[in-house]
Amino acid sequence: MKKQSRFMAGALVLVGVVGYLAVTGMKDSMMYYYTPDELAAKVTADPSARQLGAKVGGRVVPGSVRFDARTLDLRFEVVDIASGRTRFPVHYNGPLPDTFEEGRDVVVEGRLAESGTFEATTVLTKCGSRYEAADEDFRT
Amino acid sequence: MTQIGEVALWVAFILALWGMALGFAGGRRGRGDWVLSAERAVYAVFGLLVVSSAAIIAAFVGNQYGYRYVAGYSNRELSLFYKITGLWAGQTGSLVFWGLLLALFASIAVFQNRRRNREFMPYVSGTLLLVLAFFLGVVLFASNPFQLMDFTPADGRGLNPQLQNYWMTIHPPTLYLGFTAFTIPFAFAVSALLSGRLDTRWITTTRRWTLLAWFFLTNGIIFGMMWAYVELGWGGYWFWDPVENASLLPWLTGTAFLHSVMIQEKRGMLKMWNVLLILSTFLLSIFATFLTRSGLIESVHSFAQNLTISWIFLGFLGFLIVASAALVWWRRDAFAPENRLESVVSREAAFLLNNLVFVAAMFTVMWGTMFPLISEGFTGQKISVGPPFFNRVNIPLGLFLLGLLGVGPVIAWRKATGRNLVRNFRAPAGVALAVGAVLWMTGVRNTYALLTFVLGSFTMTTIVVEFWKGTRARARIEGEGAFAAFIHLMERNRRRYGGYVVHAGFVIIFMGFAGSAYDVERQVSLRPGESMEIASPFGHTYRLTYQAMSAYPATNMTKVIASVDVAKDGRRIDVLTAEKRAYKQRDEVASEVGIRRAWNEDLYLILAGIDDVNGVIRGTNPRPLATFRVLVQPLVPWIWVGGMIMAIGTLVALWPGAEPTRPVTRQRVVRAPKVAEPEAELVEA
Repeated sequence: MKKQSRFMAGALVLVGVVGYLAVTGMKDSMMYYYTPDELAAKVTADPSARQLGAKVGGRVVPGSVRFDARTLDLRFEVVDIASGRTRFPVHYNGPLPDTFEEGRDVVVEGRLAESGTFEATTVLTKCGSRYEAADEDFRT
Repeated sequence: MTQIGEVALWVAFILALWGMALGFAGGRRGRGDWVLSAERAVYAVFGLLVVSSAAIIAAFVGNQYGYRYVAGYSNRELSLFYKITGLWAGQTGSLVFWGLLLALFASIAVFQNRRRNREFMPYVSGTLLLVLAFFLGVVLFASNPFQLMDFTPADGRGLNPQLQNYWMTIHPPTLYLGFTAFTIPFAFAVSALLSGRLDTRWITTTRRWTLLAWFFLTNGIIFGMMWAYVELGWGGYWFWDPVENASLLPWLTGTAFLHSVMIQEKRGMLKMWNVLLILSTFLLSIFATFLTRSGLIESVHSFAQNLTISWIFLGFLGFLIVASAALVWWRRDAFAPENRLESVVSREAAFLLNNLVFVAAMFTVMWGTMFPLISEGFTGQKISVGPPFFNRVNIPLGLFLLGLLGVGPVIAWRKATGRNLVRNFRAPAGVALAVGAVLWMTGVRNTYALLTFVLGSFTMTTIVVEFWKGTRARARIEGEGAFAAFIHLMERNRRRYGGYVVHAGFVIIFMGFAGSAYDVERQVSLRPGESMEIASPFGHTYRLTYQAMSAYPATNMTKVIASVDVAKDGRRIDVLTAEKRAYKQRDEVASEVGIRRAWNEDLYLILAGIDDVNGVIRGTNPRPLATFRVLVQPLVPWIWVGGMIMAIGTLVALWPGAEPTRPVTRQRVVRAPKVAEPEAELVEA
């Protein structure tokens, strides 16, 4: 019986270590999903929320896209898809994502800086093809 | 004609329900004739699913775009090859395909056991038919591939470009083969619970099925990594994406099961644990299939969101969990262990730790994957956790496992003595320290990479020593040459030595993973004629010169191709091309990367952006600015080599033939010709 409990103690240590790693790992990699409206409300209510990673789904404002192909500096504005109210500038450094264009829905990941610009580490274009087409879509 | 496929589905569904009822009732009442009917229902369902699948393929090949499914995943320009794979390109078809594979395995299992294990078979057939009925029900009521639209479009919408890749033909089927094959040991476990025969019989009789399932699942996951590596163009092979994670979950519990059954076979321990592991493995296979299809969690791979299917799957999963738990509880007294753990320093303890690691990894992966749903459910705020979370937990677990891999197979059963430990681990520990020292001196400072190589070489040495000892002993006793002794050693103990080979492959894969600590990445924009340099951690430098950009029209897309000269330390060695493909049908763009593979590293070239694509396509811009992402990825080739070694090792263990108890009869057969030779001469003379 003593051997069993010695093994259990070892097992508990292992589980404890895994738990510790999991909790600290969570803190470092949490990403909050927001719409632009929600992010604006959150930051107004609690300025420290800027520090958290955020994943924001919005629509690229037509006419706002500036891209420098040499330096790969991409700047554009996103607007809340549903309300059309909140809009803020996004800055990203990297190649234009495939199928990125004005009026598209995008998901940007990053942090909202003090300046009010969203510093994105990733820009993903939402791809319509993953959704199943309605019958009408086949009439072309 | 195609509608025959739908009729076949209905008949199969009804037969599956009927057979299931007969199987369970026949087992309870001891009616052999009912059980026989249930078994025939399994064969019939398989036949009907063949008809149905053939009808779907025929609809694809025959361009029958009145079918919603065909119109959604094909078009006239699609090659015949991808029309055939259309069977599993989309949600509805892939569910039929799942059913087809399961029915195939179920038929084989029923046929194998037509004379043996008769006390198990009523419930085995019943359980298999239950799962089949479920999938057929989902197809018929929520996701019918034979659904006609009220008009027939002239052409379909084509296939998602990322699926137009040769891996498409082999990655999903391999994964499905793995998922479905786990249903067989699951069915035997359920049958053992229902019939109360909870000795090791259900395990030994499904040993090969478990290995087969593991073989397919492992390869399916590795093929998925290869696909992501060449097709997604992100420069990696694993992203902790929900769907990738989903396939990893049953792999983790399945691998734990593969090991823990050995404890039950040898020592009569862990009986309930083994039942729980195989139940979980099957449940997680269903869960993985569900997660891919529900669209509940955002993923690059998921099919379209479908709420009906989500509810049906959740209902079925809930039912399976409750039913399994109830069965285990009902039989709780039958699991008494025949032995107890005698020492913490023993093979049993090593196996238990192995199981603990796999199950802990499974829970953390599950937690991280489901976290967006969990957080939304409890706080209303959707939060996801990214790769840092998964890496933080799983890298240390993997390293622990890597060391355990060297200890487990060599340490003594029951209780290892100090002498046993010193004798077995002196040499491996010496080699490991030497490898660590050499790496340190050559400048390797990354902790994870160092640990991987130190622990990996420790484990590798124990494996080599095992082969060496076994071969030497055999060569001496049997008087064979070294090579013959080596081959015969493997032949006689396939499971053991096949297992060692799998372990060796696993170590090599981990060494490949460790290379990622030294990935180098650069991103530049260039005009034709301009160059960039990137240094490899192995000390040499690549110089890439962007030569030209050209556009080619192809059947269903326009390819824009950049060609890049590659020089290594000033010597021109290769030309790489990287492409952007604009697909006509779906208004989509995909990237094709250029990879130069060497024995120790990959040079990975991504055409990330083109300044004036339209100018290139029209031919008006001969010198477009292009953005390249270039990566040097050390040791990546070894991941694929390790994967291949693992597959070979599994096949060795899996290959039909000598069971461990039969060497005596085999020897007689082998030696017979020697005796017979002189006799034959006499007869001729």
